[in-house]
Amino acid sequence: MAEDMTIRDYLARGGKLTSPANVPPRYRAELMKLMAIFVDSELAGAAGFADMINQGPGIKERIAAAKIVMEKTDNAGKVLRIMGDFGADTARYANHHPWAARLDRAADIGTSRGEHDMRLALFNYPLEGWGDAVVMNLLMGHAVTIQLEEFGKVSYQPLAEAFRAILPVERRHAELAQEGLARLLEPASDGRLQASVDYWWPRVAASFGAADSARFESLREMGLRHQSNAELRTRWEAEAADILKGFGLRGL
Amino acid sequence: MARFHDLTVTDVRKTIRDAVVVTLRPENGAAKAFDFIQGQYLTFRRDFDGEELRRSYSICAGRDDGVLQVGIKRVDGGAFSTWANDELKPGDRLQAMPPMGGFFVELAPERARHYLGFAGGSGITPVLSILKTTLAREPKSSFSLVYANKGVSSIMFREELEDLKNLYLGRLTVIHVLETDAQEIDLFTGLVTAEKCAQLFATGWIDIDNVDTAFICGPEPMMLGIAGALREAGLDDGQIKFELFASAQPGRAKRNAAPKHTASTANQTVFAITLDGATQTITVSKDTSLLDAALENAIDAPFACRAGVCSTCRCRVLEGEVEMKTNHALEDYEVEKGYVLACQSHAITDTVRVDFDQ
Repeated sequence: MAEDMTIRDYLARGGKLTSPANVPPRYRAELMKLMAIFVDSELAGAAGFADMINQGPGIKERIAAAKIVMEKTDNAGKVLRIMGDFGADTARYANHHPWAARLDRAADIGTSRGEHDMRLALFNYPLEGWGDAVVMNLLMGHAVTIQLEEFGKVSYQPLAEAFRAILPVERRHAELAQEGLARLLEPASDGRLQASVDYWWPRVAASFGAADSARFESLREMGLRHQSNAELRTRWEAEAADILKGFGLRGL
Repeated sequence: MARFHDLTVTDVRKTIRDAVVVTLRPENGAAKAFDFIQGQYLTFRRDFDGEELRRSYSICAGRDDGVLQVGIKRVDGGAFSTWANDELKPGDRLQAMPPMGGFFVELAPERARHYLGFAGGSGITPVLSILKTTLAREPKSSFSLVYANKGVSSIMFREELEDLKNLYLGRLTVIHVLETDAQEIDLFTGLVTAEKCAQLFATGWIDIDNVDTAFICGPEPMMLGIAGALREAGLDDGQIKFELFASAQPGRAKRNAAPKHTASTANQTVFAITLDGATQTITVSKDTSLLDAALENAIDAPFACRAGVCSTCRCRVLEGEVEMKTNHALEDYEVEKGYVLACQSHAITDTVRVDFDQ
């Protein structure tokens, strides 16, 4: 039996890795980074949204918000556990950063990350009231769904399985946002929701990352990426614009 | 972080010439921590000439067997497997972390499912655990095993599989595919490739249309071929479970080159960083962390938490000395091998060489 295939070839041909013991060093680093981005974004997202619970206009909205906070925290825990398999101190990790901390609404940081954590850039911006939170959740929720479909294919099987389990939960969060928006629109909209869309749209679009082909190529060879950032973002733009249209709102 | 526990070896039995089944008893009240799920593995550690080696071996016992057993096949030049095959005896102590791994599906006694397992050589160990547990705990389900080996003499657990076939009459099918020994049916000779799988499906030896979940454990090319054939036959990623067996584990880790002691009072260090096969040399202040030094010079070094807890920025010091301020992620044996967290480390010597590729 030809048992001399290198891990590199194996991965390039779609092979799966299954435990920290068979993960090469550079793969390990990229995998850890990918997991940290997810965990930090979920923890920061949940912490930011927690402040919104009491602003929900009714019981139903407050339950939905509380559920989203709980489940995003749980999703972070699912992936953090896998980081723990690689040696990360999971208890310390969950507390090493004030996840609710935010920059100024007007800060313009592009796609850069904060000094201390790996959350996606948009989770550094504060939410401004319930309507703004619903719009952000709708747009980002849909983006996360598309991103998780991509990352559910990663070559590290335990992580792929975690993402596949997380996907329906996050998809439901996007649906809840859509239901929330429908209720907000019943009284005639005064343009504030469109202002929120205008604010969040470019920031969510940026969360798909730059079109860095060399880096993408190396991640693709490791089986950590499949579709390009541009492809995923284009799909999101079309689908999100479509959803907004149903509410009389427009994407950029 | 998982920690190591002591286990006593209660039995060592040869299954074939170059593989042993080791029975273990957790000590010091650790029995609960070793309550495994079928298909999981144990990670052992042992000192060889002053250097700690860690090796993972799959549990081959079923959950209802009442014992903890792993199968260890000798790997050419493999320090741990050779030692286990030649020297390990009842009464010896081993150290292992509690069972890990997700190579299983949740069982449900009321369900009638059909499972398909592929094992190559010693890849049988977790698959044996899965099929024994499944047949015992899901009485309406059935299991087909395709088991690849070089020849008859290298088939681990051959008799045990025969006994299981008799015990679970009609619910367990075993197809032995042998690389070198001719069999009555041509299809069962050769390697288990994508083509071979397609033929097994087409000829009805395997009822692929009714398979709920497939398990594959073996060397890389075999896993790729089988996974390709299963996807071709309509299974999705959620239905295919992999366990890559440890061919990637190196036999014996290389000794680290002795560090050069050239401590000095000057505040600059010449810092050589290897990343993705390329080495860059920069001059930086000794007050700057290795990670910041790299990032400030447009070297895309990996990192995440910057707080010494996640270990994303792990790298290996090949020359010179560094001081690591905090470390909540690397274990002692990694530090002994020269691994440091770049976000927490500062150069002490005038030259430092680190490698992110090791």
